[in-house]
Amino acid sequence: MVSRCGIRSSVVVILAGCMAALVGTPAFAQDKDPNPGAMTLTASFDFLNQYQFRGIRQNSTGIAMWPAVDLGIATYSGKGGLKSLGVNLGTWNSLHTGDTGSDGPSGKLWYESDFYASLGFGFGGGTSFTTTYTSYTSPNGSYSTVKEIMFKLAVDDSGHFGKGAVKPYVIVARELDATQDGLTNGQADGGLNAGTYLEFGGAPGFSGKKASVSIPVKIGMSLSNYYELLGVDNKFGFFSVAGLVTVPLGGTTNFGAWNVHGGIEYQRLGTTTQAFNGGEANQAIYSFGLGFTY
Amino acid sequence: MAWVAVALSMATTPLRAQGTSADPNLGNLKLTSGFDVTNAYLFRGIPQDDTGVIMWPYADLGITLHHGDGALGNVGVNVGMWNSLHTGLAGLDGLGKLWYESDFYTTLALGFGKGTSLGVTYTAYNSPNSGFVPVKEVSFKLAMDDSGPLGRYASKPYVIVARELEGQADAGTKEGTYLELGAAPSIGLGRVGVAVPLRLGLSLADYYEGANGDERFGFFSVAGVVTVPFSSRPTRFGSWNVHGGVEFVTLGDRNEAILGDRSKVIVSGGIGLSY
Repeated sequence: MVSRCGIRSSVVVILAGCMAALVGTPAFAQDKDPNPGAMTLTASFDFLNQYQFRGIRQNSTGIAMWPAVDLGIATYSGKGGLKSLGVNLGTWNSLHTGDTGSDGPSGKLWYESDFYASLGFGFGGGTSFTTTYTSYTSPNGSYSTVKEIMFKLAVDDSGHFGKGAVKPYVIVARELDATQDGLTNGQADGGLNAGTYLEFGGAPGFSGKKASVSIPVKIGMSLSNYYELLGVDNKFGFFSVAGLVTVPLGGTTNFGAWNVHGGIEYQRLGTTTQAFNGGEANQAIYSFGLGFTY
Repeated sequence: MAWVAVALSMATTPLRAQGTSADPNLGNLKLTSGFDVTNAYLFRGIPQDDTGVIMWPYADLGITLHHGDGALGNVGVNVGMWNSLHTGLAGLDGLGKLWYESDFYTTLALGFGKGTSLGVTYTAYNSPNSGFVPVKEVSFKLAMDDSGPLGRYASKPYVIVARELEGQADAGTKEGTYLELGAAPSIGLGRVGVAVPLRLGLSLADYYEGANGDERFGFFSVAGVVTVPFSSRPTRFGSWNVHGGVEFVTLGDRNEAILGDRSKVIVSGGIGLSY
């Protein structure tokens, strides 16, 4: 699930993606683990007022719903330089009631369906490196399929800083196969050229007995052609800060560990993303949902 | 999907030594998944595609809500997704997109004494590449696992009644009602499981609408499915298997007119996981 923390720029993806880590902290009651094997299932269902993909608006009206499922496979665990090796497979979906969903031209709810696979290496000092391939498809035909390879370098500095840890990371993502039938498409910005995306972020947080709070901060930028507007690639895509609260529903049971979560995210948009957002440079996103880890 | 069901059921037979101390999953959630490849896809006898390669990735999460010794022995919920990816006319070559079908389903299953079970399933059949209009359906399945009294001679009969709520599999004029009678006798040959599922698909009302109105007989099929587990006991990564089979399907007039042939031989193989 670590890889998912960087795939979506919206607040709830952090919720969905990082929930396993939050729920898995010692602060929460670990009554018993019904699943001590190498496979971990994580799922969530979230509701949002707005869906912004890396700052790029995806809907103007209605609500978005995000069902997501991830299967994590811990393929290796050791004490050498390579501490862990894991594979994640999952699907992430966005269902829209508004203009890009059931109320839009297609009349269909299912706006986005992503499939992804990631390979994650865990090293000493809490450092990890993850490579993720993602296929972003639109079942209701709202956009052409985007294929992407993403690299994420992250450091879990909890061991050094405890509650003061900021868990920094950097992501570089490259759109692939953006030329189809002689036309350039398959891009998040709908631009002329396949783009390369850069994201810096951190997710400081605090885990208590009854709830966890995290404050993810991130900045999304274009390394090349990721935020194209009228032939101009604008470097700054967005800045985001959010406040997220996760409340576990009891401890870990035979049905896994469940939680409810909610949050508020503020995004400050760049020139391209502001234009996509109807000229509005500021965007607030509210979300809540249900998640579980097994 | 019939083969998938067979593979799933075989993956949970006692052959697999489930419930041993080696089982890494002792809780109430079970994950079943697989990836199959086949040469033709007929949905309840209705031809979908027999060109190119057809791939079926699927996953199912089973949740045991209740397990007891009373008249109601088990209560379970299943949530899952089944997909069909086509390289041929119903996919890449014909519609420009691979993803022909994506089904979401949820089932409430009640298990009674003597191996009898009743399942109610809601399914939404969607086509991401717009190969067909979405279909929403509710189905009821009454099944009997007669392995207890009959041992290896068990036939595991079942009956399914499905009612279309919105959209139609036959693209006809009225939502239809489907009836399926089937059985899935199986035997274990050492670690290898062999099943011989039989299915008869009928229209109770408007399910196989054609040029001559609603046709009663949709299809009959018989298959041989072999499942070979990777290991004799579950591992930390669950129980994996490879499976494959051959299915012979004979069609009613309506489905024959679409396929252009009275019968079809379907060959498939795949990999499965139960965790």
